[in-house]
Amino acid sequence: MDIFGSFALLLALLAAVYAFVAGIVGIVTRRTVLTKSARNAGIAVFGLVTLAVASLEYFFFTDNFTMAYVAEHSNRALPLFYKFAALWSGQEGSLLFWSWLLSIYAFSALFLNRKKHPELMPYVGVVLAGVQTFFLTLNNFVATPFNVLASANSSGVFHLARVTEGNGLNPLLQYPEMVIHPPMLYLGYTGFTIPFAFALAALLGRYPGEKWIHITRRWTMVAWCFQSIGILLGAHWAYAVLGWGGYWSWDPVENASLLPWITGTAFLHSVMMQEKRGMMKVWNVWLVFTTFMLSILGTLLTRSGVISSVHAFAQSGIGNWFVSFLAIVLAVCFWAWWMNRDYLRSDNQLDSLVSRESSFLFNNLVLLAACFAVLWGTLFPVLSEWFTRSKISVGPPFFNKVNVPIALFLLLLTGVGPLLAWRKTSFDALRRNFAWPLTGGVVAGVIAFIFGFREIYALICLILSVFVTLTIFAEFYRGARVIANRDHTNILSAVGDLTMRNTRRYGGYVVHFGMVLVFIGIAGSAFNKDIQMDMSPGQSLAIGPYTILCQNFDQVANDNYQSERATLEVFRNGHSEMMLYPQRRLYLASQVTETMVAVQSSALRDLYVVYAGRNPDTGKPVIHAYLNPLVKWIWFGGVVVVLGTGLAMLPNRRAAIVLKPVQEKSWGDALPATSPAPARRPESHD
Amino acid sequence: MTRSFHLFGRTSLSVGARILLALAMAGLFLAGSAGAQETPRAKALGQKLMCVCGCNQILTACNHVGCQYSHKMLQELDQLVARNDSDDLILQAFVQEYGLTVLAEPPTKGFDWAAWIVPIVVPLIAIFLVWQVVRRWRLRAQLAPAGPGVSPELLARAQHESDKDSDD
Repeated sequence: MDIFGSFALLLALLAAVYAFVAGIVGIVTRRTVLTKSARNAGIAVFGLVTLAVASLEYFFFTDNFTMAYVAEHSNRALPLFYKFAALWSGQEGSLLFWSWLLSIYAFSALFLNRKKHPELMPYVGVVLAGVQTFFLTLNNFVATPFNVLASANSSGVFHLARVTEGNGLNPLLQYPEMVIHPPMLYLGYTGFTIPFAFALAALLGRYPGEKWIHITRRWTMVAWCFQSIGILLGAHWAYAVLGWGGYWSWDPVENASLLPWITGTAFLHSVMMQEKRGMMKVWNVWLVFTTFMLSILGTLLTRSGVISSVHAFAQSGIGNWFVSFLAIVLAVCFWAWWMNRDYLRSDNQLDSLVSRESSFLFNNLVLLAACFAVLWGTLFPVLSEWFTRSKISVGPPFFNKVNVPIALFLLLLTGVGPLLAWRKTSFDALRRNFAWPLTGGVVAGVIAFIFGFREIYALICLILSVFVTLTIFAEFYRGARVIANRDHTNILSAVGDLTMRNTRRYGGYVVHFGMVLVFIGIAGSAFNKDIQMDMSPGQSLAIGPYTILCQNFDQVANDNYQSERATLEVFRNGHSEMMLYPQRRLYLASQVTETMVAVQSSALRDLYVVYAGRNPDTGKPVIHAYLNPLVKWIWFGGVVVVLGTGLAMLPNRRAAIVLKPVQEKSWGDALPATSPAPARRPESHD
Repeated sequence: MTRSFHLFGRTSLSVGARILLALAMAGLFLAGSAGAQETPRAKALGQKLMCVCGCNQILTACNHVGCQYSHKMLQELDQLVARNDSDDLILQAFVQEYGLTVLAEPPTKGFDWAAWIVPIVVPLIAIFLVWQVVRRWRLRAQLAPAGPGVSPELLARAQHESDKDSDD
């Protein structure tokens, strides 16, 4: 079976190489039979990599500990769904998983477009095959998951070896979200390959028209949506599992996931400039290229050991492969752009600085500034070590100081941008659109200040959040009111109607609203409280409105872990409100200990309790309690962002053409017998 | 390499082995950062320091089991704060003992200044460049010869259809 998996993987590599070479030859010689054959080979890669993945999963489910990867990352007592997730728990398996997701995307792009864009798709197939060839080379020769355990006898002959039990899955990964979080993130990372392939293909093939940019935008939205889900699930996992009371620590691996998300966000905004006005073509192409390269950089950071991170895989020499690949991709992108730069000439120029175009331009600049600041902070320890020969740390305080002002400026633009008109906005329009939202924001700020809100960034965030929310609601209200008046419907159904007529625009507003909720949630962290105390049964601690009474400590065990558990009763205003059971688990297979946090979550605040272990001096159990305001808003905001993205991907509701029935006419009537009458007039609100 | 993993489950162990195991477990369950942050000032200073165990966490946030550093570091921090040393002196004492990596932020001197300056300077340069490009665009737009007369109705229809096409 191991040979089966290896063989499938090798065939997949051969198919990818064939798709790459045959595709290029087919394009150069203009032989359709070759380009079609290359496309079919590209599609076949999906089937072959699927077989390899199925083969590895089979080893996990059958506890086949002759396989080094299975012995390293699983054990018999591991629950089944974690055995499934063990596929991506190590370097080799996660790279195979990456190749598999990439092959799914490639299959979808090639198959769905097999009868469309005959001039473009051969180029797309070649780019995809090139990327697949790189990853399948790693899977086959650099980090193969199909290595078997072998031991040498006295005469130096190797024999298959088998261990009776595996090392088990990393306990940090034994959490339901970790079954979903990496696939989502990888779907984001790998998904950015498709827009990259379309953009590079359009440039190489000098594909006429703007159709390619529509396709690129749709695929970017898919990848961006997955990346958003992945980042949010990762943040939630960090919050619920790592037990330090926060959800984002600016760890290099977290940052790596944020970078392509930011440039992807910038592209999703600036692409509108190209679609509407034929502007910023070079910018857009480079944003797509950069997003893809940042995805590769992300996995380089995770896997190479260049930067230390708690999330990173074991250090290995694989980083050189990624650096080489990145250098090749950069060179190809630069060459393609240089050779075809006249193809990307703008059709229009900026008419006014007070316009939708300029707000997108600023939005892009700010997003790229944020991206650069995160990248700079992430890589700076390496740069500093190169130049000064001494190591330094770049921790959360740096990232917060640099990025919080940028993020707030971005929040401001989220409110300002949609209210500006394309080309030019008059002063009257500015006053009309901004007066109420701005007043609302300032009033909210004054009220908050009066009630003792003194954290400056949190206060600005509140003002901007109210401002942006009001602008979004005003946009919905203005459009819906027109429809409600015209169709004599209520405002709510008019909002639904309005949204479905221009899903992209109103879906985008929903995404913006979700981001506002996320910002409010993050601003809540300015008011976090925590307390740590050695506790014996009968002792209590107070935090905010809560009193936590320690009832007892006991031990819980199963085949997978042994844990110490605290039983805590939580009182609020003297009334018993709930029981919490934070744990400290020792995972038996790996002998690693981890915390299991107990969280009582509400819309206003989270009571987050960690059993931190025993005090080495006193031997007493230590309870660390946190009061984290508004954290739930982040998760809820994330859900709204994802729903908004889904909405924006839906097609607009088309105007239905209703043919009027033929009416009997008198001989004297000289009117046509039928006349098409639109039931609903299509409107464009952008 | 074989190990018996079912420590408290199906495998039967002698009483001695169980006691040894319990002691080992007690060791494993020792807290990493217990008993520190006695004052708000110590807590604030703890936010400016990193735990040097390699966890990449702020000192006050490191809760790794068996962390050999955070507990000791937090105790030192409490002692220095209790002695009423200045913030700079306390941070310097930590740098002396653990090296520059103990600081959560890059120092504001020498090459490490670049960490702070570059994220400000680069966007400013980018804004300047974009401003120049926009100026040139607007200049070119003003200098462009007027095209043949197109009726406002035709322009409006073209814009409308282009918008529709983009929305699709």
